[in-house]
Amino acid sequence: MKVHVNMDICLLHGQCVIAAPEIFSFDDNGDLHWVEVIDDSQVADAEAASDACPEQAIILG
Amino acid sequence: MTQDSLVADNLPYLDISDPGFSIRSDAVMEAREASWCARTNYGLAVLRYDDVQKLLRHPKLRQGSYRWPALNDVTGEFARWWESMLLSQEGDNHARLRRMANPAFSPKLITTLAPKFTELATMLIDEFAPKGECDFIAEFTEPYATGVICELLGLPFERWRELADIAAEMGLALGVTFKKDLPTIEAATKRLFDYVEELVEARRAAPKDDFIGMLIKANEDKSQLSDQELLDMIVLAIFGGIDTTRNQLGLAMATFIENPEQWALLAEQPELGRAAVEEVMRVRPTVTWVTREAVEDFTYNDTPIEKGTTLHLFSQSATSDPRVFDDASFDITAERKAHFGFGGGAHHCLGHFIARGDMTEALKLLSQRLKNPRFNGEVEWLPDSGNTGAIRMPIAFDPA
Repeated sequence: MKVHVNMDICLLHGQCVIAAPEIFSFDDNGDLHWVEVIDDSQVADAEAASDACPEQAIILG
Repeated sequence: MTQDSLVADNLPYLDISDPGFSIRSDAVMEAREASWCARTNYGLAVLRYDDVQKLLRHPKLRQGSYRWPALNDVTGEFARWWESMLLSQEGDNHARLRRMANPAFSPKLITTLAPKFTELATMLIDEFAPKGECDFIAEFTEPYATGVICELLGLPFERWRELADIAAEMGLALGVTFKKDLPTIEAATKRLFDYVEELVEARRAAPKDDFIGMLIKANEDKSQLSDQELLDMIVLAIFGGIDTTRNQLGLAMATFIENPEQWALLAEQPELGRAAVEEVMRVRPTVTWVTREAVEDFTYNDTPIEKGTTLHLFSQSATSDPRVFDDASFDITAERKAHFGFGGGAHHCLGHFIARGDMTEALKLLSQRLKNPRFNGEVEWLPDSGNTGAIRMPIAFDPA
C-alpha cells in the first residue's frame, strides 16, 4: 500500500505520528516524514492514522 | 537592567483576568499590531496567526491547564480525574490513551450519526417553531448538545436534563470560584462516575459496536486502557462535549443574526453548512484561547521564554490577523486558512468530527426553519474570554 500526505492541507498536528509512529515521524526541524510504501502488517496502523488526521490529509492507495 | 527584562518591558500588556476584558477588544487588536505577543497578569498572550500556529505544536511546550486544580489548592476526585485524563497527559502516556480513544471518535462513526442529529434537531425545532420565538440556549443549543451526547452514549434523550445538570455543576471547576464550589463539584463528579460505571456494566452485558462499545473493546487489553482510564475517557467525552457545543451554536446564531444575508444564503445553499461551521469558529470560537506551558527555557522570536511560563494562544485574535486574512469579515463562501477553534497539535480536540457533524446538521436545518432571526430581549453572556458563549438568548423569527 502507498502512503501519501497532502502537504497543502497538512497542519503538522502530529496525530499520525501518535497513531502510527512506525510510519510517520517528525525530524528535529519539525518536518513530517513518512514511509511511502508499507506492507500488509502496517495497513491497520496507516488507516488509524488516516482516520485520526484532523485535516484528513492522508491518502492511502 | 537585563536584556530579558528590556524585551519584556517593550511588550504590550493585557489584564486578562479583568471581568471586563474582551478577546475582541481594540486593546487586543492594538497589541497584535504592536507585537506578536503581550504580557498578561498570568503569562504571555500570543496574538498573531503564524505564531499561534507554530506554538500550538511547539516541542518545548506542553498543554497548560493540567495544573489548574493545584493552582487552586484543590484535591479530591475532580482533581484526580482532571490531572490523569487525556488532555493533561503528555508524551508516551498521552499517545497510548489517544490511540485507544481514536476509533471511538473516528469520522466513520459520524456517517451513521448524521441522520440522528437531523432527527434530534427537527424534534427540538418542532417544539418551539410555531411560537415564532424561543430562548435559543434553553430550547435548542443545550438540549441539542446534550442530546447528541445521549445518542453517542446510547442513552434515551429524556436523560439529557440530568446529564446537562451534572456537566454544569462539574463545569464550576473551570471558574474562578472553583474552591468555594468544591462540594458541589465533587458531588457532581461522583454522580457522573457512578452513571458512567453503570453504563459500562450494561454495555459489557449487552455488547454493541458503538462509541462505548469501541472503548470497551480497547479496554480488553488492560495494559493499554485500564478500567479507570476507560471511565475517565467517557467522563471526558461527556464533560468536553456539552458546554462547548452548546456555546458554539449560540455564538453561531449571534453571528448570523448580525449577518442576515449570510443566514439567507445558508438556507438557500445547505451544502454550505460545513463551511458555515468553520467560518463561525473562525470569527467567534467558544474556546477563545488555548493554554500551553514551557517545559524548559527557550527563545522564540528573540523573546526568552522561561521554563514554567504560561502561553495563552489567542485563537480569535489569530484568525482575524490582517497579515493572513485580507478581508476578515464573516463570509461562509470564502476560502480560509484553518482556524484554531479545536486547538491543534497533539491535543487537537478529539471530538471534532462529532462536533463538526452535529453543528453542520443543526445550522442547515435552523436556517431553513427560522427565517429572519433577531434578538428578542437581552442576551446574557459569559465573560468574553476563556470559554465564552451565551447563557440566555431570546430570539424571534418567522417560522417556515
